[in-house]
Amino acid sequence: MPQTTIYVSPRSLGAPDTRPPAVATTDLARLFAGNPALAGISLRVEAGRTVALLGPNGAGKTTLLRLLCTAIRPSYGRASVDGLDLDRQAALVRERVAYLSHATGLYDDLSARENLRFAAAMLGTPDAAGRVDRALADVGLASRADDRVRDFSAGMRKRLALGRILLGSASLVLLDEPYAALDNDGMSLVDQLLVAWREVGVTVLVASHSTGRFEALLDGRVTLERGLVVDASGKGVESTPPPLPGDPRPSVVEVAR
Amino acid sequence: MKTRILGYVALAAVAAVTAVALFVVPSDRNQGDAQRIMYPHVASAWLAYLSFGVTALAGIGWLWKRDLRLDAVAHAAAEIGVIFTAFAIWGGMMWGRPIWGVFWQWEDPRLTTTALLLMLYVGYLLLRRLTDDPERRATRAAIVGIVAAIDIPIVHFSVEWWRGLHQTATIGSPDRVLDPAAPMAFVGTLLGTLGAFTLAWLYLMIRRYQLARAEVAREEARRLDRLMSARTAAVAR
Amino acid sequence: MSTLRAEARIALAVARKDALAELRGRHATVSTLFFAAVVLLLFGLALGPDAARLAAAAPGLLWLAVVFAGILAVNRLHLLETDDGALEQLALYPVARRAIYVGKALGGFAVMLLLGVLVLGAVGVLFAVDVAKAWLPLLVTVVLGAAGVAAVGTFYAGVTVRLRAREAMLPLLMLPVLAPLLLGAVKASAAALAGDPFDELGAWLQLLVAFDVIMIVAGMATYGYLLEDG
Repeated sequence: MPQTTIYVSPRSLGAPDTRPPAVATTDLARLFAGNPALAGISLRVEAGRTVALLGPNGAGKTTLLRLLCTAIRPSYGRASVDGLDLDRQAALVRERVAYLSHATGLYDDLSARENLRFAAAMLGTPDAAGRVDRALADVGLASRADDRVRDFSAGMRKRLALGRILLGSASLVLLDEPYAALDNDGMSLVDQLLVAWREVGVTVLVASHSTGRFEALLDGRVTLERGLVVDASGKGVESTPPPLPGDPRPSVVEVAR
Repeated sequence: MKTRILGYVALAAVAAVTAVALFVVPSDRNQGDAQRIMYPHVASAWLAYLSFGVTALAGIGWLWKRDLRLDAVAHAAAEIGVIFTAFAIWGGMMWGRPIWGVFWQWEDPRLTTTALLLMLYVGYLLLRRLTDDPERRATRAAIVGIVAAIDIPIVHFSVEWWRGLHQTATIGSPDRVLDPAAPMAFVGTLLGTLGAFTLAWLYLMIRRYQLARAEVAREEARRLDRLMSARTAAVAR
Repeated sequence: MSTLRAEARIALAVARKDALAELRGRHATVSTLFFAAVVLLLFGLALGPDAARLAAAAPGLLWLAVVFAGILAVNRLHLLETDDGALEQLALYPVARRAIYVGKALGGFAVMLLLGVLVLGAVGVLFAVDVAKAWLPLLVTVVLGAAGVAAVGTFYAGVTVRLRAREAMLPLLMLPVLAPLLLGAVKASAAALAGDPFDELGAWLQLLVAFDVIMIVAGMATYGYLLEDG
């Protein structure tokens, strides 16, 4: 498999305790048409950690990721990324976060290269042409660079979307079920990326149904169920249950270091 | 309580002013009794424009403060505004029939601009209906309201220009009622009608806003309730 | 003013992307042009065959065709963003959102300009109006009119792109706001064709400029809110 070069902004370097928490939420909640998708999350993720977000469908994993990348706004509560408030410093947050969603956000009529060239222009990637070619090679799409995305399989689209993330300089990467729809080569690519990001100090949140594949790479695990955190274990991960009406605040869940 | 008093006062004012307009003030020498409808027509038109201004300003307020009650104000103003606009158009048509012989004519295009205002309102209200999520609805409505409000003066101005270049000053002009040289009785009745209608508008706005605010509060309570039940259910598990 | 340059670059990148997608077979431009042609033919049928009446109505018919076809064009250009969540991805880039608006409006302007010029020519042919004689003021009018339709249309296309009943709402929202533009463009075109006997051409063109500037600024200020909240 080809070597992957991950470009990160200087912000991501440095020991974890000198950096603000990659993710810090206080009672974060989001409702859709009156139904709570997230019912109150108070979560802290230390910088540079690789954390799995687990839980069944409808638990709120995708909602949490979408909130953190500013795709949607919270209904209640606060959150910050790298110490930047989601609500008031959203533009700055967007500079630091990359999000791989179920939808790829690619333009069908453009080629792989053109899609990435556009992304590079929007991300302000220096040496755009070179970086695009590099990203295409890194995700194994160099031979299909000039083909229409319309003709790509779901796996290839996902790889191209990962290539797009490589064009940026995010310090927090949010992956929503990255292994879904990928073949063996594709899954190896994700494994490599996780290792590479970890090496450089990028914080990664991976939403998944199970951790089998990347168990060894994980620092911590957060399990969601029906919009609430039911378990938070491992290194660099901390969760507080949300306050109930009238009850005194429950004690903070212990963190294993 | 205070609102109810306002309601009675407004009702009385409107009744009084209607009586004056119909029976007390002398009819226009040239236009006859048909001219009487100009009083409520002009007053309604004024309130139609005022309402849209309120809608736009409340929309700006929502975008700034994210308080759904401001969106409720915008919604209320739009609903009441559309009523006054419709009434203004109707009044214009009723006036036009005896004076011009037709319900609609294009040489005095203010009827058309008021009709366009109606379209802007209807578009705004339909847009609101098509979005379910309260915050998304408020945001979409706010920006549509703002752009429409910016457009209204341009419409007014361009149409005035159009009119100015094709000056057809006739005796049968609705401007008679706004003419500064008009007799005091006309001016006085007009101002009185304006005042009475504005009181009625204020009353309707307050009532409609109270309804909307209650709905917002109810919805908010429902949401918080769902949130809290989700939390207590999790603890119980 | 380095951020201004950066924003301009973003807008151009968006416009270029739209142009690429368009050239690759989206057919937004082609279908828009043919729609305008059909509209003109139907006008001829509905208001003809009296040549004098059609010639007198020509400025109005010109701009009605442009505005109606414009609805189609701006709708199709925004539809591009429904490709697999492209709009949401667009919202996540760390760029000034007004630059995205300007970029999409630029694309719309290019299509509208082409449309306007072609419809102008078609009107000259179909309704026996001498457009060549006053080609310069007519061209200026077309440029200003195209800009206005693009600015307003792009904004409302953004509002309705994820709305139910989108096809009905876009014209309902767009057309009343375009009334002053329609008025100004028709009057300016008529004045230009008649040789500007009342010296009013300048005034109408000024109205168009004012409309365009105001609407572009309004669009830039508000479009960004559409990209919030998925």
